[in-house]
Amino acid sequence: MPWRRLAITGLIIGPILGLLIFGFTRDARYITSPLLAKPGTPFTITMFDGRKLSLEDLRGKAVFLNFWASWCLPCREEARDLEAVWQKVKDKNLVFVGVALQDTDKNAQEFLKEFNITYPNGKDESGKIAVDYGTWGIPESFFIDPQGRITYKHVGAIRAALVINKLEEAAKGIVSAQEGKGDYSPVR
Amino acid sequence: MARRTLFALFLLLVLSANPLQAPLAADLDEQTRALATELRCVVCQNLSVADSPSEMAQQMRAIVREQLQAGKTPEQVKDFFVSKYGEWVLLKPKTTGFSALLWILPYVVLVLGVLAALWVVRRWTQARKSPGQATAPSSITADMQNEFLTQTGEQPGLEDSSPRAQLLRERSRLKDELNELEFDFAAGKLSDADYQGLKQDIQTKGAAVVQQLDALPPERPVKRPQAKAGSIGGQKLAPTQINPRRWQLIAGGVFLMLFGLALGVMLTKSVRERASESDSMTGDFMTGTTPQSGNARSALNEGKQAFAKQDYPKAIEAFKKVLAADPNNPEAHAYMGFILVQAGHGDGALMAFDKALAKAPNFPMALWGKGMVLYREKKDNAGAREIFEKLLNLMPPGEERNEIVKVLAEIPAGSQKSSPSKAATPNAAAPSTSAQISGTITVDPKLKASIDPNAALFIIARPAGAAAGPPLAVRKIDKPTFPLTYSLSQENVMMQGTPFTGKINISVRLDKDGNAVTRGPGDLSGEYKKNPAEVGAKNVDIVLDQIAP
Repeated sequence: MPWRRLAITGLIIGPILGLLIFGFTRDARYITSPLLAKPGTPFTITMFDGRKLSLEDLRGKAVFLNFWASWCLPCREEARDLEAVWQKVKDKNLVFVGVALQDTDKNAQEFLKEFNITYPNGKDESGKIAVDYGTWGIPESFFIDPQGRITYKHVGAIRAALVINKLEEAAKGIVSAQEGKGDYSPVR
Repeated sequence: MARRTLFALFLLLVLSANPLQAPLAADLDEQTRALATELRCVVCQNLSVADSPSEMAQQMRAIVREQLQAGKTPEQVKDFFVSKYGEWVLLKPKTTGFSALLWILPYVVLVLGVLAALWVVRRWTQARKSPGQATAPSSITADMQNEFLTQTGEQPGLEDSSPRAQLLRERSRLKDELNELEFDFAAGKLSDADYQGLKQDIQTKGAAVVQQLDALPPERPVKRPQAKAGSIGGQKLAPTQINPRRWQLIAGGVFLMLFGLALGVMLTKSVRERASESDSMTGDFMTGTTPQSGNARSALNEGKQAFAKQDYPKAIEAFKKVLAADPNNPEAHAYMGFILVQAGHGDGALMAFDKALAKAPNFPMALWGKGMVLYREKKDNAGAREIFEKLLNLMPPGEERNEIVKVLAEIPAGSQKSSPSKAATPNAAAPSTSAQISGTITVDPKLKASIDPNAALFIIARPAGAAAGPPLAVRKIDKPTFPLTYSLSQENVMMQGTPFTGKINISVRLDKDGNAVTRGPGDLSGEYKKNPAEVGAKNVDIVLDQIAP
């Protein structure tokens, strides 16, 4: 009888305690993004060279969208890798778009110059694009398939090999089950 | 009829146009604020968008306002943010779907708790009112008293509230009471007369219970799993049978202990001091976002403060505490590295910086420290260059970055290690530049007997007027002999790039254990009596005339 009572007590209390412990060890920010497999919100951004770029115009191509800032150390970590990948894949049917956040034009442009970044880059003046993409830590990268769906999200610095891998998946429309993480700076 | 309807419509338009528009516009700010208090600032800890001063929160407030102005309802605005960030962005979880459990569950648990408490109280009161406590009937015999003493075993089920079960419980209680009485008597707490009287009383009550048990109709055979071992007709049980109450107590105790442990561990891991005014009031208790415990974090802050005040022993203690709680903490390792550099332990410092970099390969502070040790101490120009180039890549434009550029420009090109610098030798300290301070160090004749032949001499230069911060320059001379001529120059500055100019306070310490960080009894010290000295001064003579108690 005591064993049965103990078992019942354990069955009731165990899951509650387990849930409590699980909850305390999690960072709520890493709840899988609701944006995966959803269409990327359309936006138009003015590039640093004055031209305008619209996400809608890129339909039919796989898109790598990267949020960054010149003050963010992990953004500097990944900058050379991203340009190297861009140089490798720029002739394929895909586009890299960089979006600078919470930055000054001068610092952002110096950053681009320092790392010889040649893919299109512009600045999100109002922060609306960042909110549309649920951004909270930078760098944040999104992979968008030719139909405009977000196939993968990565919070933090991303490595070249992963970019290539996820670009291939995006081109085929394969959606990842979870977002990735790396070193990041919280947005300010 | 049609005219009346038109008139009513006209009235409605007149009334609803201008007079209401102003309050609506005025309310927009209030609505924005109200809604912003329900949204979580995504870059803060447990702060709402309304309360956060962050740029992101400002942008989110602007979006809330814009959407409300465009005619969206507060629910639609909230749904917009949920669609971007997930339900985590809501400070109050939704009352529908799975989240409804968060609202309902506490009340369910409360009701269940109250019911359980009522059930337990009811059982207790029933046990107190059990018939065994009635006055013993006169027909009780000595046989019954003996029967009470010799009967063992049978225990009622916990849910059983039949008269028989209640009598059995009372019998068990009286037996426990008798055991306690005997124990007290054996311990000498009771006189013989008291013991006999009380024992008789319990036995009489017990006999009454036995009598009432006997008077009950015979029990229907019930399946009793406990009766398997040595029971006879379900009446007597094996002597090894354990009282279920004991199980309850053990289970309760174990649960309370586990709960206490879990709560203790979680609280200490979650609660911490606020790092700044804009930091969360509740720390990480609700979010669990930091890997550092509250103690480790406060020890880290304590260590940094002690480091800034050059109280190195205190700083070491604090960083040790941090490393005990979090053995891979890169910041603590990096600070330890800087302390070791100051103490002249280049190898130890290098190890500390490597430990920091093993955990955080791009930690700028550790990269800087490692680069400086490689360049200054190890003369490994290629290694230092590699580290500084990596650091340069990481640092955003600014003063720190300029400093790295300067150091890189100083490091000679080429991959070969540069030749080791001349070892500092007693009585010979050749300066490489003219911008130096030089003089003679002597020992007070009274303290000559206190000189430890293995001690190390530290000549320390601090900018005049600097109350805190690391020394400008330090020179260590092992096993010095006195009088000693010395010089301090640009070569001895601790942080590369800091100019060795202006007015400088000079002091010396003869340290018994050779560790610049620890100060022990018997260490001799002294300072230039005319401090500060101007760089270029030649007769900056110092007498070691103080001894640490």
